[in-house]
Amino acid sequence: MSLGDLWNRFRRGMRSLRNGEFLLKVGADKFYMHIMYLFLLMWLSIMLSLKVDKTLSRVGDNKAAIEELRIYHAQKEAQLVKLHSASTAERRLRELGSPVSIPKEPAIIIKKK
Amino acid sequence: MSRKQKEIQETIENRDRIHVVMFFLSYIFLFLGIGVLACIIHIQTSFHVDDKVIGLFRPSSALHVEHPVRGRILATDGRPLALSAPLYDIYMDCTVKKQYYKESGKDSLERAWRNKARELGVYLSNQFKDKSADQYASAILKGRDNNNRYLAIRKNVDLETVKLVKTFPLYREGTYAGGIIVERHEERIYPYDSLARRTIGYVKDISRKGLEDSFDSELHGHEGYEWRRVTDNNRWVRDLDSTVVAVQDGNDIRTTLNVDFQDIADRALRAQINENPDVRAGICVIMETKTGAIRAMVNLSRGETPQTVLWERENLVLTETGEQGSVMKTATLLSLVEDGHVKSLNQTLPTNNGWVYNWRKPGSASEYPHDDHISDYQRKTGRRDITVMHGFEISSNYVFAQLAETYYGKRPQELFDHLYSYRLGEAFDFDIEGLRAPSVVRPGTPAWSNNTLGTVAYGYGLSITPLHVITFYNGIANRGRMMKPYLVESVEKNGKVLKKFVPSALNESICSPATADTVTRALRAVVNSGTATRLRGAKLPVAGKTGTARVVLSNGQYHDASGRKKNQGTFVGFFPADKPKYTILVTVYSYLSSLSFYGGTMPALAVRDIVDQIYALDEEWRPELHPTGTVPVMNNEK
Repeated sequence: MSLGDLWNRFRRGMRSLRNGEFLLKVGADKFYMHIMYLFLLMWLSIMLSLKVDKTLSRVGDNKAAIEELRIYHAQKEAQLVKLHSASTAERRLRELGSPVSIPKEPAIIIKKK
Repeated sequence: MSRKQKEIQETIENRDRIHVVMFFLSYIFLFLGIGVLACIIHIQTSFHVDDKVIGLFRPSSALHVEHPVRGRILATDGRPLALSAPLYDIYMDCTVKKQYYKESGKDSLERAWRNKARELGVYLSNQFKDKSADQYASAILKGRDNNNRYLAIRKNVDLETVKLVKTFPLYREGTYAGGIIVERHEERIYPYDSLARRTIGYVKDISRKGLEDSFDSELHGHEGYEWRRVTDNNRWVRDLDSTVVAVQDGNDIRTTLNVDFQDIADRALRAQINENPDVRAGICVIMETKTGAIRAMVNLSRGETPQTVLWERENLVLTETGEQGSVMKTATLLSLVEDGHVKSLNQTLPTNNGWVYNWRKPGSASEYPHDDHISDYQRKTGRRDITVMHGFEISSNYVFAQLAETYYGKRPQELFDHLYSYRLGEAFDFDIEGLRAPSVVRPGTPAWSNNTLGTVAYGYGLSITPLHVITFYNGIANRGRMMKPYLVESVEKNGKVLKKFVPSALNESICSPATADTVTRALRAVVNSGTATRLRGAKLPVAGKTGTARVVLSNGQYHDASGRKKNQGTFVGFFPADKPKYTILVTVYSYLSSLSFYGGTMPALAVRDIVDQIYALDEEWRPELHPTGTVPVMNNEK
């Protein structure tokens, strides 16, 4: 094949590109299904990737929400536990002017017959 | 032309479109290959690239280390003694939008911002109540004038408060318009503040003490690692293509501590020593007799100056070694009874005017100091002999030095063998590190002298920790079975027990049950008619012994130049005396003082208070009320 032939082929190729006939010229219509399949795979890949990103973002959000709840729970628990000591209860009762105090005698257990 | 050349010529002439494409592709790959080769040579030899360019090519992912949540330390009933949660510091960037308002000439917006800052001051003042609204507002406005980008508003606030503060005027506009900066830091929360604090310990940076230190490997957990990448929405998510090490939160530690007992002991001890500036420290330990489980461990001290408040500063129960004084007479009595030297507590010995007989040089002066208790006894009773029981009741040094010299004088090792079997000569394994080893002057060593045996018999010359003392008394209460004290009963994860620590014995039999019963009778007599009568009439019968010891000072003596002494008064015993459930020790330590402290005063009173309160609280002693008649049954109970 001479250089002139190559040049002619190149020109024809360019022309077919311009006319939108390049794929037909090179006979790519034989691989139409394969190209569509490739396109589908690429589309699926991108879509799944975006879905995964979205899910991971939600996982991150949920993780942060759970962490926030854990912190809230721990802090509330600490506050409640602080109130649960006998000293605190006695002090609070005294502050409120209650006559109730820590028992001096053990509680009586009433047994059923 | 050869045949082969002919074939090539035909092939060239007949080549079809596939051949052309293949040629074309081969040339492309050839040029690409040459290009790649050239690039490699260029990169290896002369290529220098800007960091910015590298940044563009680097994948936008970063290693994220996830820190585990430290496990909780629980009381025996599951109440948390220590737990982890973050706290937040609130700061403010006072300069937000200032430049923008200035450059765009929007003075009205600047005035609006300042008005909101004043309004914010009101809200902050109402919330925190530590400063007035004007003080808050002026601090913020002054910060704006001075371009303060990091004005501290409030430190160590909880999440709920942070969320509330974020709704305040100005702050609700966010960081870029309102200037609020919230910084999070992990904190260890101890809900009961100082209660058992030295036993629980603490974590501060890399420093740890107490159970926080001993069980750090369980509590800490394991860090998690994961690579994170940025999504198209600018969110950081886990990079699923990378290795992930899952974070493992720390395990929980369930201790033997009973919060109510700890609270009772803490208050009872404070009530005795808080108002007395001569008291340096006070300790209390409550141990379950059958198991050796420690239900309360109080370590209150003032530090070096009397002005400071009582606080759990150091674990004196484990570290305060010293001569324990008369409480150790029980060890001598136990040995004498076990060896059959004292067959009855009513056995008598001559009073000898309070001077220990010098059998090494008969007729010479005694090698022991005079015992004034015996002179008083002789004066009151007119008797010239004294029973072992009474000598124990009045805590006579003479009686115990004389008994030791009489029965162990020629074979002192026999008494020391007993002391070692009571584990008074060595440190044992304990759940918190730092238990001090005792110091014992042994027979045959250079420090041994003619009066060492007798002084050991009445509690000097043997330097041990309070934990050793209570462990020994618990052995008597447990009829000879000396339990190993312990503080941790299990390691748990989300309520599931991973490891269980069961009670174990340090010595299966330090004495026979009969010997233990005899000594218990003597300990009961100390409370009924001896040095601990302040415990007589406690709601549960108590058996125990008082001890008053002088502390050796840095000058090697028991007093300084002006005659001041450091005292320690102890009461150790168990209750109920007839069927012991708890063993208890209270010791009070003084500063250098001209006053004397006795085991029968402050410690005994604290013990009485504790016993009475435990009696009211512990379900063991709850009386049962049985109906004597027929109880009418309501319809809905049928």
